[in-house]
Order: sequence, then C-alpha cells, then structure tokens
Amino acid sequence: MNNMIEIKDLTFEYNREEDGKNIPALSGVDLNIEKGSFTAVIGHNGSGKSTLAKNMNALLLPSGGKVYVNGYDTADESKLWHIRQAAGMVFQNPDNQLVSAIVEDDIAFGPENLGIEPGEIKKRVKESLQAVGMYDYRKKAPHLLSGGQKQRIAIAGVIAMRPECIIFDEPTAMLDPYGRKEVMDTIRKLNKEEGITIILITHFMDEAALADRIVVIDEGKIALDGTPKSVFVQVEKLRKIGLEVPIVTEIAFRLRNKGIHVPEDIISLEEMVNYLCQ
Amino acid sequence: MSIKVENITHIYNEQMPYETTALDHVSVEIESGEFVGIIGHTGSGKSTFIQHLNGLLKPKSGKIYINGIDITEKKVKAPEIRQKVGLVFQYPEYQLFEETVFKDIAFGPSNLGLPQNEIEQRVYEALSLVGLDYREVTDKSPFDLSGGQKRRVAIAGVIAMKPEVLILDEPTAGLDPKGHKEILDMIKKMHKKEKNTIILVSHNMGDIAELSDRIIVMEKGKVVLTGSPKEVFKNADYIESIGLGLPPAMILMRMLKQRGKHVYTDILTIDQAEKQILNLLRSK
Repeated sequence: MNNMIEIKDLTFEYNREEDGKNIPALSGVDLNIEKGSFTAVIGHNGSGKSTLAKNMNALLLPSGGKVYVNGYDTADESKLWHIRQAAGMVFQNPDNQLVSAIVEDDIAFGPENLGIEPGEIKKRVKESLQAVGMYDYRKKAPHLLSGGQKQRIAIAGVIAMRPECIIFDEPTAMLDPYGRKEVMDTIRKLNKEEGITIILITHFMDEAALADRIVVIDEGKIALDGTPKSVFVQVEKLRKIGLEVPIVTEIAFRLRNKGIHVPEDIISLEEMVNYLCQ
Repeated sequence: MSIKVENITHIYNEQMPYETTALDHVSVEIESGEFVGIIGHTGSGKSTFIQHLNGLLKPKSGKIYINGIDITEKKVKAPEIRQKVGLVFQYPEYQLFEETVFKDIAFGPSNLGLPQNEIEQRVYEALSLVGLDYREVTDKSPFDLSGGQKRRVAIAGVIAMKPEVLILDEPTAGLDPKGHKEILDMIKKMHKKEKNTIILVSHNMGDIAELSDRIIVMEKGKVVLTGSPKEVFKNADYIESIGLGLPPAMILMRMLKQRGKHVYTDILTIDQAEKQILNLLRSK
C-alpha cells in the first residue's frame, strides 16, 4: 500500500444553526496522498481546504464517501487512536498548542498519554527536539520563545508521536519572515530526511511552490491538481478563483504578454535568474 | 494629528526573573496625514510601541504627545485618546460580538452618546469606507460573513469612531491572496479620501514598501532605521541580518546583480522589476 491517505467521493456538510440547513463544504472529492510525498493544498478562505484537512485525521467525519488513513477507515471509531497517531496535525496559532511550562515536558505530553515507558519517552523527546533544531531550548519556558520557535516546539510535540504523516494547517500565518523560514525549512527537512508525508495548507504561494504537488480547492471541489509548475502556469484560472501566483510566475506572465517567450516552467527565483543570465 | 514620542522606555515584569525591556528610549515623530509602516521581527517591540500611542500602555519614562497633548499625564482621560487614535488589533474579527453588523459597528459611537441619526450616518460611512454594501450586510450576523468581510466589519467598528490616527496591526494576517489585496486596496483608498494618519504594522515587506511614505524599523526595543522605503531598503544586508525580509522584487534584482547583470537593486515593486527585466532583455 503506497497511499498514506485515500479519499473516495468525500462529501462534508455543515449544519447551519439558524435554519438547520445542511451546507456542503466539500462535495465529491477524490484524492490519494502517496507515502513520503509533500503536497500543498491551496484555496481561498472558505474554499473547504481546512475542512478537507480535518477530515484527514478524523477531526471531522465524512457526511458521504470514505477517508482512509494508513488503510484505516476514519469512520471506524475503534481505530481513532491509530489514525491520530499516524496523521498528526499542526495548527496556525502556536500559543494554542503548547501545554506545559517547560519545553521538554511539552514534547513528552503526547507519548506519556500513549503510556510509553520513561526511557523511550526521553529518547523521543531528544530526537524530536533535534529534528526541529530546538534541543538547546529543552529546559526553557515555551512562552519566552519567538513565534517560529514555538511553532517548531509544536511540531516536535507531534513528531514525538512518531506519525507517518503531518498535516499543517497554515503553520506560518502568524509568523514573521524569519519565523516563516524556520518553519518551512523544518517541514522540508522532515519530508526529505525523515520521510514523513507532508500535507501543507497555506495561503503563501511561495510556500506551496516548495511542494512536490499542489492541490487547488475551490467551492468544495478539486479545481487543479499537479506539480507546482503545471499549476502556477495557469495564472488566469488561479486569479479567477481568488488566488495569486508566486512573484516570479507573475513577472514571467507579464513578459509573455509583452511577446517575450519565457519558458512556462519557470517558478522560482533561481530559475528566473538562470533564464535571464543564459 | 501629529504624534511625538519622546524617549519612552517600557519594561515588562520589572524586578521579576523575566524582566524585559520592550522599549528602550524610543523617540519618533509622525506628521499629520503620514502613512507610516512599522517593521521588526516578533518580539522587537512593535506591538508594545503601538499600544502606547493610544494609551493602552503607559511608558515607565518618556513622553507621548498627541497633537501637543501629553497623554502620559494622569489627567488625560483614556477614552479621549482612544477616540483620536484608533487601534485595530491582529485578527480583529475575533472581537465581533453583536447580533448584526449594524449593532457591532454602532457600539462605539453609541457609547459616545451620539444621537441616533449621527450613529446611523457613521455606520453608513464606515461600511462604505471598508468597501461593504450597507444594504447588503447591515442586518446580517457578522458571523455569517466571509473571513475578509468579517475583518472589514471589525475595522469599520474602529473607523466609525472617526479616529484621526488609524493603527493597523497585521491587518492581512491569515487572509487569502484576494482578501489580502482587498484589505490593502481599502486602506489605500481610505487614506487617499480621509487623509488620516495611518500606521501599518506588517511582516509583508512588499506591502510595506508599496504603501508607506516612511518606514520605521524596530529591533530589540529600539528604532534602528527610519526613512522612505527606498532609503530603508538600501540597508538590505542589515535588514536581513535582523531577521527581516526584503520586498520580493528587490531580492530578484539582487540575485541578478550578483550574477553580474547591470540592474538597479534599489527597486521595490513588481512593476519596477518588470521594466528592468525588459531593459535587460532588450540590451541583449
């Protein structure tokens, strides 16, 4: 089995309180996430991308269709802990995700709840903090750290559960440029070096460009799905659904409109510079 | 409305184990009608600084004059300052609480004891300034609106107080690209129309460079740089060294320069980058 997550004809409806009507947030979504892959999910506010993410680790359950995490049906309540352990989640606000007064206690919190023996917990705390480059801060109080550091602690807390997959829901939205870079570097490292499957929900197109694959959600459906190059070349379609493209794609698009034949697969600064310097 | 900050210092947890000097002898002058951008990494003192400007925090030492009145004086009443200096916090939509958009925006003006027709007029104007249709949203629950709309309603609540200085702390954080652009366009339009003083705190260097007349750079509780966007971003290496970024267009030009291309690196916008690249391609 090579799929970390399999989504088959997923429909999800919210119940609106005032009139009791069911409002569809997702309809007919089919999506497979391969093990070890790095997928970015983009879409405007209210497109359904966060709802999709929450369906990926049983925080929400389908109204119709099926979601399998590591082969487990998320609707099967007896498998809930297997699912949550396989697919961890990191949210936007680091302050809401930290529970202890000392960094290493915070990391140990998850494994302790799994009933893991102390020697093993110690080992996991060390490895998790090293994976996010925060081992030197193990004795510090989380609230005295910067936003990017706090978010890396939150990520370490998830890693200590040894998940095969981590779902990030806009992990950098509240961070400054340096904090954003710290977190993005950490995410890439977890994918490349630890082989953890990554699903990244983001509004930052330059972050999405770092993934192997981009899934664009619009009106509760998959609007585009492909490599960053194949997605970002569709500048007009992305604009129509309220999204932007990375600055380099924007410049390439403008140059093309002026009759200059810029290759379509240029999406990063390096590629643009190489093209202009050839 | 002019602002003059003279040598203010603010210390959190004074004489406690975690004592931190959040503001260290900061002096700043902001002229009436100016659009000022404030940048600095998390913890550099930006938020502490702006909370002093409307009297939410008091400095340990130093003076803050708003239109010549020292607001650090005890006899100055906080509501009077807050009416002149409006502060929109990060994620202001979390502060929406009323049943309808109208009531939420009217809350502040009602507390001023204004007559009903004046309150209605202010709600109408505030909604139009933030680009929302009065008839469409006025009776709606603010919680039924989209993320970008909610945020605009929250900003309208502050604008309805008719502040002469409007401070916005990361007004586009967490919004999608379209919502981001809408909020920025709204701020630009409002500034043009009202000629009010605007202070924008943001981590987005592209936005700050495009909108600000002047940028204030904060680091470790001090103002370390101030000037026009061009002047400030000339110190690109220094700005990167204190954990801040550069406008994306400038990064591209700097990379081209490094590769030996004859381009100007002191550009800030995509339009300027496009022009330079066209020149570069034509000179080939």
